Amino acid sequence: MTLVLVSAASIVLALGLSFLLMAPRHDAGTSAPMAAPFLGGGTPDTHAWQRFHFRAYTMTLVFIAFEMEMMFMYPWAVVFVEEGVKALAEMGMFLGILSVGILYGWREGVFRWQ
Amino acid sequence: MAVNWLARLAAAAPAPVFTCIGPGIQAAVERLCLSPALDRVATPRAAAILLVAGEIPDHAQEALDRVHDQVPHPRQTFRWDGTGDPEPALRDLWRDLAAGGDTETDRRPDAPPNDWCGVGPHGQGGKGMMGGTPYGRPMAMTADDPRDGLALDAYTARLGPFVPMLPPGLVLEVTLQGDVIVSAEVRAAPFAQPDDASAPDFCAARMLRLVGLPRDADRVARGARLRAITALRAIPEGLGRHDGQDARGRLAGWLAGERGPEAAPALATLLPGLEWSEAMLVINSFSPATLAHVAISKEDA
Repeated sequence: MTLVLVSAASIVLALGLSFLLMAPRHDAGTSAPMAAPFLGGGTPDTHAWQRFHFRAYTMTLVFIAFEMEMMFMYPWAVVFVEEGVKALAEMGMFLGILSVGILYGWREGVFRWQ
Repeated sequence: MAVNWLARLAAAAPAPVFTCIGPGIQAAVERLCLSPALDRVATPRAAAILLVAGEIPDHAQEALDRVHDQVPHPRQTFRWDGTGDPEPALRDLWRDLAAGGDTETDRRPDAPPNDWCGVGPHGQGGKGMMGGTPYGRPMAMTADDPRDGLALDAYTARLGPFVPMLPPGLVLEVTLQGDVIVSAEVRAAPFAQPDDASAPDFCAARMLRLVGLPRDADRVARGARLRAITALRAIPEGLGRHDGQDARGRLAGWLAGERGPEAAPALATLLPGLEWSEAMLVINSFSPATLAHVAISKEDA
Protein backbone atom coordinates (compact mmCIF):
# COMPACT_ATOMS: atom_id res chain seq x y z
CA MET A 1 0.00 0.00 0.00
CA THR A 2 2.78 2.41 1.01
CA LEU A 3 4.70 1.50 -2.13
CA VAL A 4 1.69 2.28 -4.30
CA LEU A 5 1.13 5.63 -2.56
CA VAL A 6 4.79 6.64 -2.81
CA SER A 7 5.04 5.75 -6.51
CA ALA A 8 1.74 7.48 -7.30
CA ALA A 9 2.89 10.58 -5.43
CA SER A 10 6.23 10.65 -7.22
CA ILE A 11 4.54 10.26 -10.63
CA VAL A 12 2.17 13.13 -9.82
CA LEU A 13 5.11 15.21 -8.57
CA ALA A 14 7.19 14.53 -11.72
CA LEU A 15 4.29 15.34 -14.07
CA GLY A 16 3.31 18.41 -12.07
CA LEU A 17 6.86 19.77 -12.01
CA SER A 18 7.33 19.26 -15.72
CA PHE A 19 4.09 21.15 -16.48
CA LEU A 20 5.06 23.89 -14.04
CA LEU A 21 8.55 24.34 -15.47
CA MET A 22 7.46 24.09 -19.11
CA ALA A 23 8.20 27.25 -21.07
CA PRO A 24 5.24 28.77 -22.94
CA ARG A 25 4.98 27.14 -26.35
CA HIS A 26 5.10 29.27 -29.47
CA ASP A 27 5.46 26.72 -32.21
CA ALA A 28 2.73 24.48 -33.46
CA GLY A 29 4.99 21.87 -35.02
CA THR A 30 7.73 22.47 -37.57
CA SER A 31 6.94 24.47 -40.70
CA ALA A 32 8.35 23.62 -44.14
CA PRO A 33 10.87 26.52 -44.22
CA MET A 34 12.10 25.57 -40.74
CA ALA A 35 12.64 21.94 -41.73
CA ALA A 36 14.72 22.85 -44.79
CA PRO A 37 18.44 22.01 -44.64
CA PHE A 38 20.69 24.89 -43.56
CA LEU A 39 22.81 26.09 -46.46
CA GLY A 40 23.26 29.69 -45.34
CA GLY A 41 20.25 30.80 -47.36
CA GLY A 42 21.02 28.57 -50.34
CA THR A 43 18.91 25.75 -51.73
CA PRO A 44 19.74 22.14 -52.60
CA ASP A 45 18.80 20.54 -55.93
CA THR A 46 18.08 17.10 -54.51
CA HIS A 47 17.08 15.32 -51.36
CA ALA A 48 19.97 14.60 -48.99
CA TRP A 49 19.17 10.87 -48.99
CA GLN A 50 21.86 9.48 -51.26
CA ARG A 51 24.17 6.57 -51.79
CA PHE A 52 27.88 6.97 -51.38
CA HIS A 53 30.69 4.48 -51.48
CA PHE A 54 31.80 2.82 -48.28
CA ARG A 55 35.33 2.50 -49.57
CA ALA A 56 36.65 0.23 -46.84
CA TYR A 57 34.42 -2.63 -47.89
CA THR A 58 36.64 -3.92 -50.72
CA MET A 59 39.54 -4.00 -48.28
CA THR A 60 37.52 -6.02 -45.76
CA LEU A 61 36.50 -8.37 -48.58
CA VAL A 62 40.13 -9.08 -49.47
CA PHE A 63 41.02 -9.45 -45.78
CA ILE A 64 38.30 -12.06 -45.28
CA ALA A 65 39.30 -13.89 -48.46
CA PHE A 66 42.91 -14.32 -47.33
CA GLU A 67 42.09 -14.86 -43.67
CA MET A 68 39.57 -17.64 -44.36
CA GLU A 69 42.08 -19.25 -46.68
CA MET A 70 44.69 -19.43 -43.94
CA MET A 71 42.17 -20.52 -41.31
CA PHE A 72 41.25 -23.66 -43.26
CA MET A 73 44.70 -24.34 -44.62
CA TYR A 74 46.26 -25.17 -41.24
CA PRO A 75 43.90 -28.09 -40.40
CA TRP A 76 44.01 -29.11 -44.06
CA ALA A 77 47.81 -29.31 -43.95
CA VAL A 78 47.55 -31.72 -40.98
CA VAL A 79 45.32 -34.21 -42.82
CA PHE A 80 46.70 -33.67 -46.31
CA VAL A 81 49.16 -36.59 -46.19
CA GLU A 82 46.44 -39.05 -45.05
CA GLU A 83 43.77 -37.91 -47.50
CA GLY A 84 45.97 -37.35 -50.54
CA VAL A 85 44.50 -36.23 -53.87
CA LYS A 86 40.97 -35.91 -52.50
CA ALA A 87 42.08 -33.20 -50.03
CA LEU A 88 44.02 -31.42 -52.78
CA ALA A 89 40.92 -31.30 -55.00
CA GLU A 90 38.74 -30.03 -52.16
CA MET A 91 41.18 -27.27 -51.28
CA GLY A 92 41.46 -26.40 -54.97
CA MET A 93 37.68 -25.91 -55.15
CA PHE A 94 37.69 -23.82 -51.97
CA LEU A 95 40.50 -21.58 -53.23
CA GLY A 96 38.71 -21.28 -56.56
CA ILE A 97 35.61 -19.88 -54.84
CA LEU A 98 37.71 -17.49 -52.72
CA SER A 99 39.63 -16.25 -55.73
CA VAL A 100 36.34 -15.06 -57.27
CA GLY A 101 36.11 -12.66 -54.34
CA ILE A 102 39.67 -11.52 -54.90
CA LEU A 103 38.94 -11.00 -58.62
CA TYR A 104 35.89 -8.93 -57.67
CA GLY A 105 38.03 -6.82 -55.33
CA TRP A 106 40.53 -6.40 -58.13
CA ARG A 107 37.75 -5.12 -60.41
CA GLU A 108 36.70 -2.65 -57.69
CA GLY A 109 40.24 -1.30 -57.63
CA VAL A 110 41.35 -2.50 -54.21
CA PHE A 111 44.87 -3.37 -55.37
CA ARG A 112 45.45 0.08 -56.85
CA TRP A 113 47.79 1.88 -54.48
CA GLN A 114 46.83 5.54 -54.08
CA MET B 1 8.02 31.70 -9.97
CA ALA B 2 10.00 28.68 -10.91
CA VAL B 3 9.75 29.73 -14.53
CA ASN B 4 11.04 33.20 -13.72
CA TRP B 5 13.95 31.75 -11.81
CA LEU B 6 14.83 29.41 -14.70
CA ALA B 7 14.42 32.22 -17.21
CA ARG B 8 16.79 34.41 -15.21
CA LEU B 9 19.29 31.57 -15.09
CA ALA B 10 19.00 31.05 -18.85
CA ALA B 11 19.33 34.78 -19.54
CA ALA B 12 22.67 34.82 -17.70
CA ALA B 13 24.15 32.63 -20.44
CA PRO B 14 25.66 34.32 -23.51
CA ALA B 15 22.97 35.28 -26.04
CA PRO B 16 23.02 32.80 -28.98
CA VAL B 17 23.24 35.00 -32.07
CA PHE B 18 23.34 34.02 -35.72
CA THR B 19 24.86 36.77 -37.83
CA CYS B 20 23.82 37.76 -41.35
CA ILE B 21 26.46 40.21 -42.45
CA GLY B 22 25.87 42.79 -45.18
CA PRO B 23 28.35 44.93 -47.13
CA GLY B 24 31.01 46.91 -45.30
CA ILE B 25 30.32 45.70 -41.78
CA GLN B 26 32.13 42.35 -41.41
CA ALA B 27 34.96 43.57 -39.15
CA ALA B 28 32.54 45.49 -36.90
CA VAL B 29 30.37 42.37 -36.42
CA GLU B 30 33.38 40.18 -35.72
CA ARG B 31 34.61 42.72 -33.16
CA LEU B 32 31.13 42.80 -31.57
CA CYS B 33 31.00 38.98 -31.34
CA LEU B 34 34.23 38.96 -29.29
CA SER B 35 32.05 40.08 -26.37
CA PRO B 36 31.57 37.36 -23.73
CA ALA B 37 27.87 38.34 -23.57
CA LEU B 38 27.31 37.04 -27.12
CA ASP B 39 27.70 33.55 -28.50
CA ARG B 40 28.06 33.55 -32.28
CA VAL B 41 26.51 30.20 -33.22
CA ALA B 42 27.23 28.25 -36.40
CA THR B 43 23.64 27.54 -37.49
CA PRO B 44 20.32 29.34 -37.04
CA ARG B 45 19.00 26.21 -35.32
CA ALA B 46 21.20 27.01 -32.30
CA ALA B 47 20.27 30.70 -32.27
CA ALA B 48 17.54 32.80 -30.68
CA ILE B 49 18.48 36.15 -32.16
CA LEU B 50 19.09 36.82 -35.85
CA LEU B 51 21.55 39.69 -36.08
CA VAL B 52 21.14 41.41 -39.46
CA ALA B 53 24.08 43.76 -39.84
CA GLY B 54 24.19 46.42 -42.53
CA GLU B 55 21.99 46.81 -45.60
CA ILE B 56 21.32 43.39 -47.11
CA PRO B 57 21.12 43.80 -50.92
CA ASP B 58 17.86 42.86 -52.65
CA HIS B 59 19.29 39.77 -54.33
CA ALA B 60 20.13 38.28 -50.91
CA GLN B 61 16.77 39.13 -49.33
CA GLU B 62 15.15 35.77 -50.10
CA ALA B 63 18.13 33.95 -48.61
CA LEU B 64 17.85 36.11 -45.49
CA ASP B 65 14.17 35.17 -45.16
CA ARG B 66 15.12 31.51 -45.48
CA VAL B 67 17.69 31.79 -42.69
CA HIS B 68 15.20 33.77 -40.58
CA ASP B 69 12.62 30.98 -40.76
CA GLN B 70 15.18 28.42 -39.57
CA VAL B 71 15.69 30.12 -36.20
CA PRO B 72 13.53 28.21 -33.71
CA HIS B 73 10.76 29.92 -31.75
CA PRO B 74 10.79 32.20 -29.82
CA ARG B 75 13.00 34.29 -32.11
CA GLN B 76 13.68 37.93 -32.80
CA THR B 77 15.51 39.79 -35.54
CA PHE B 78 17.91 42.54 -34.52
CA ARG B 79 19.03 45.02 -37.14
CA TRP B 80 22.30 46.88 -36.66
CA ASP B 81 23.80 49.53 -38.91
CA GLY B 82 27.27 49.40 -37.36
CA THR B 83 26.93 52.51 -35.20
CA GLY B 84 26.80 52.56 -31.42
CA ASP B 85 27.07 49.59 -29.09
CA PRO B 86 24.17 47.15 -29.62
CA GLU B 87 25.24 44.85 -26.78
CA PRO B 88 22.83 46.16 -24.07
CA ALA B 89 19.92 45.96 -26.52
CA LEU B 90 20.90 42.41 -27.50
CA ARG B 91 21.12 41.40 -23.84
CA ASP B 92 17.63 42.81 -23.16
CA LEU B 93 16.28 40.98 -26.19
CA TRP B 94 17.84 37.71 -25.02
CA ARG B 95 16.39 38.19 -21.52
CA ASP B 96 12.90 38.55 -23.04
CA LEU B 97 13.39 35.52 -25.29
CA ALA B 98 14.70 33.36 -22.45
CA ALA B 99 11.52 34.18 -20.53
CA GLY B 100 9.49 33.01 -23.53
CA GLY B 101 8.84 36.46 -24.98
CA ASP B 102 7.27 37.38 -28.32
CA THR B 103 8.30 35.54 -31.44
CA GLU B 104 8.27 36.31 -35.18
CA THR B 105 6.24 34.35 -37.72
CA ASP B 106 7.66 32.68 -40.84
CA ARG B 107 8.43 34.93 -43.81
CA ARG B 108 8.43 32.11 -46.39
CA PRO B 109 5.27 30.15 -47.24
CA ASP B 110 4.74 26.95 -45.27
CA ALA B 111 4.87 24.64 -48.31
CA PRO B 112 7.46 22.13 -49.57
CA PRO B 113 9.67 23.41 -52.43
CA ASN B 114 7.97 21.01 -54.87
CA ASP B 115 4.86 18.85 -54.78
CA TRP B 116 5.47 15.45 -53.28
CA CYS B 117 4.70 13.53 -56.48
CA GLY B 118 5.69 10.05 -57.55
CA VAL B 119 4.32 6.60 -58.11
CA GLY B 120 1.84 5.14 -55.66
CA PRO B 121 -1.17 6.35 -53.68
CA HIS B 122 0.94 8.71 -51.53
CA GLY B 123 3.52 9.58 -54.18
CA GLN B 124 6.01 7.63 -52.14
CA GLY B 125 8.03 5.95 -54.83
CA GLY B 126 9.23 5.25 -58.30
CA LYS B 127 12.00 2.99 -59.50
CA GLY B 128 14.14 1.87 -56.58
CA MET B 129 15.53 4.86 -54.77
CA MET B 130 15.14 7.13 -57.79
CA GLY B 131 11.43 7.90 -57.63
CA GLY B 132 9.23 10.51 -56.10
CA THR B 133 10.08 13.82 -54.49
CA PRO B 134 10.08 13.10 -50.76
CA TYR B 135 9.64 16.34 -48.78
CA GLY B 136 9.46 18.21 -52.06
CA ARG B 137 12.94 17.40 -53.31
CA PRO B 138 13.85 14.93 -56.05
CA MET B 139 16.19 12.04 -55.25
CA ALA B 140 19.86 12.33 -56.15
CA MET B 141 21.02 10.72 -59.39
CA THR B 142 24.33 9.02 -60.09
CA ALA B 143 27.37 10.66 -61.69
CA ASP B 144 30.97 9.51 -62.18
CA ASP B 145 33.11 9.84 -59.08
CA PRO B 146 36.33 11.79 -59.71
CA ARG B 147 38.41 9.47 -57.52
CA ASP B 148 37.89 6.07 -59.09
CA GLY B 149 35.04 6.41 -61.56
CA LEU B 150 32.40 4.54 -59.56
CA ALA B 151 28.99 5.88 -60.50
CA LEU B 152 27.52 7.26 -57.28
CA ASP B 153 25.07 9.95 -56.22
CA ALA B 154 26.05 13.58 -56.66
CA TYR B 155 24.62 16.33 -54.44
CA THR B 156 24.33 19.81 -55.88
CA ALA B 157 23.49 22.76 -53.65
CA ARG B 158 23.99 26.50 -53.49
CA LEU B 159 25.76 27.61 -50.31
CA GLY B 160 25.51 31.13 -49.04
CA PRO B 161 25.31 34.08 -48.83
CA PHE B 162 25.16 33.64 -45.04
CA VAL B 163 27.26 30.53 -44.40
CA PRO B 164 29.44 31.32 -41.38
CA MET B 165 32.61 29.79 -42.83
CA LEU B 166 32.39 31.60 -46.18
CA PRO B 167 32.84 35.35 -46.69
CA PRO B 168 29.43 37.07 -46.38
CA GLY B 169 27.64 37.38 -49.70
CA LEU B 170 29.55 34.64 -51.50
CA VAL B 171 27.19 32.10 -53.09
CA LEU B 172 28.93 28.91 -54.18
CA GLU B 173 27.20 26.25 -56.22
CA VAL B 174 28.97 23.03 -55.31
CA THR B 175 28.49 19.45 -56.42
CA LEU B 176 29.60 16.95 -53.80
CA GLN B 177 30.10 13.21 -53.85
CA GLY B 178 30.31 12.12 -50.25
CA ASP B 179 32.52 14.88 -48.86
CA VAL B 180 34.56 15.42 -52.03
CA ILE B 181 33.87 18.50 -54.12
CA VAL B 182 33.37 17.56 -57.77
CA SER B 183 32.73 21.05 -59.07
CA ALA B 184 32.35 24.54 -57.66
CA GLU B 185 31.06 27.69 -59.26
CA VAL B 186 30.75 31.23 -57.89
CA ARG B 187 27.11 32.37 -58.24
CA ALA B 188 27.41 35.68 -56.39
CA ALA B 189 30.51 37.59 -55.34
CA PRO B 190 31.12 38.41 -51.66
CA PHE B 191 29.78 41.75 -50.43
CA ALA B 192 32.36 44.53 -50.61
CA GLN B 193 34.13 44.95 -47.27
CA PRO B 194 36.55 47.72 -46.28
CA ASP B 195 40.18 46.86 -45.67
CA ASP B 196 39.77 46.19 -41.92
CA ALA B 197 38.02 42.86 -42.62
CA SER B 198 41.23 41.63 -44.27
CA ALA B 199 43.46 42.54 -41.31
CA PRO B 200 45.88 39.67 -40.53
CA ASP B 201 44.49 39.24 -37.00
CA PHE B 202 40.91 38.76 -38.19
CA CYS B 203 41.93 36.47 -41.06
CA ALA B 204 43.96 34.29 -38.67
CA ALA B 205 41.08 34.27 -36.15
CA ARG B 206 38.65 32.99 -38.82
CA MET B 207 40.98 30.13 -39.68
CA LEU B 208 41.65 29.24 -36.03
CA ARG B 209 37.89 29.13 -35.42
CA LEU B 210 37.62 26.75 -38.37
CA VAL B 211 40.19 24.32 -36.97
CA GLY B 212 38.24 24.30 -33.68
CA LEU B 213 40.19 26.73 -31.51
CA PRO B 214 37.63 29.48 -30.72
CA ARG B 215 39.43 30.71 -27.58
CA ASP B 216 42.70 31.15 -29.46
CA ALA B 217 40.76 32.80 -32.27
CA ASP B 218 39.30 35.36 -29.85
CA ARG B 219 42.73 36.03 -28.39
CA VAL B 220 44.25 36.61 -31.82
CA ALA B 221 41.36 38.86 -32.90
CA ARG B 222 41.94 40.97 -29.78
CA GLY B 223 45.52 41.48 -30.92
CA ALA B 224 47.41 38.95 -28.79
CA ARG B 225 50.40 37.22 -30.36
CA LEU B 226 50.03 33.47 -30.62
CA ARG B 227 52.29 30.80 -32.02
CA ALA B 228 49.43 28.30 -32.47
CA ILE B 229 51.75 25.45 -33.37
CA THR B 230 48.99 22.88 -32.86
CA ALA B 231 46.70 24.83 -35.18
CA LEU B 232 49.38 24.90 -37.86
CA ARG B 233 49.82 21.13 -37.52
CA ALA B 234 46.05 20.65 -37.88
CA ILE B 235 46.22 21.99 -41.43
CA PRO B 236 47.61 19.44 -43.91
CA GLU B 237 50.89 20.40 -45.49
CA GLY B 238 50.76 21.46 -49.13
CA LEU B 239 47.02 22.21 -49.02
CA GLY B 240 45.89 24.93 -51.42
CA ARG B 241 49.41 25.74 -52.62
CA HIS B 242 49.61 29.04 -54.49
CA ASP B 243 52.76 31.03 -55.30
CA GLY B 244 54.88 28.60 -53.30
CA GLN B 245 52.84 29.05 -50.12
CA ASP B 246 50.24 26.59 -48.77
CA ALA B 247 47.30 27.27 -46.43
CA ARG B 248 49.45 26.51 -43.40
CA GLY B 249 52.07 28.98 -44.58
CA ARG B 250 49.48 31.69 -45.11
CA LEU B 251 48.11 31.19 -41.58
CA ALA B 252 51.65 31.35 -40.19
CA GLY B 253 52.13 34.58 -42.11
CA TRP B 254 48.97 36.10 -40.66
CA LEU B 255 49.96 35.05 -37.16
CA ALA B 256 53.27 36.84 -37.73
CA GLY B 257 51.32 39.95 -38.73
CA GLU B 258 51.95 39.79 -42.48
CA ARG B 259 49.23 40.49 -45.03
CA GLY B 260 48.45 37.53 -47.25
CA PRO B 261 48.76 37.31 -51.04
CA GLU B 262 46.70 39.76 -53.11
CA ALA B 263 45.87 37.22 -55.81
CA ALA B 264 44.35 33.74 -55.66
CA PRO B 265 43.40 31.14 -58.25
CA ALA B 266 39.70 30.97 -59.22
CA LEU B 267 37.66 28.92 -56.78
CA ALA B 268 36.29 26.81 -59.66
CA THR B 269 39.80 25.47 -60.31
CA LEU B 270 40.99 25.50 -56.68
CA LEU B 271 38.25 23.50 -54.96
CA PRO B 272 37.42 20.39 -57.08
CA GLY B 273 39.02 17.23 -55.70
CA LEU B 274 39.28 18.60 -52.16
CA GLU B 275 37.32 17.24 -49.25
CA TRP B 276 34.81 19.61 -47.66
CA SER B 277 36.92 20.46 -44.58
CA GLU B 278 40.02 21.04 -46.73
CA ALA B 279 38.06 23.25 -49.10
CA MET B 280 36.83 25.45 -46.25
CA LEU B 281 40.40 25.79 -44.95
CA VAL B 282 41.66 26.72 -48.41
CA ILE B 283 38.94 29.37 -48.91
CA ASN B 284 39.62 30.88 -45.50
CA SER B 285 43.36 30.93 -46.12
CA PHE B 286 42.73 33.86 -48.48
CA SER B 287 41.59 37.23 -47.14
CA PRO B 288 38.03 38.50 -47.93
CA ALA B 289 39.50 41.22 -50.15
CA THR B 290 41.42 38.64 -52.20
CA LEU B 291 38.36 36.38 -52.50
CA ALA B 292 36.14 39.29 -53.57
CA HIS B 293 38.72 40.23 -56.19
CA VAL B 294 38.88 36.63 -57.48
CA ALA B 295 35.09 36.24 -57.59
CA ILE B 296 34.48 39.56 -59.34
CA SER B 297 37.19 39.05 -61.96
CA LYS B 298 35.69 35.62 -62.65
CA GLU B 299 32.20 37.11 -63.10
CA ASP B 300 33.57 39.58 -65.65
CA ALA B 301 35.21 36.82 -67.66
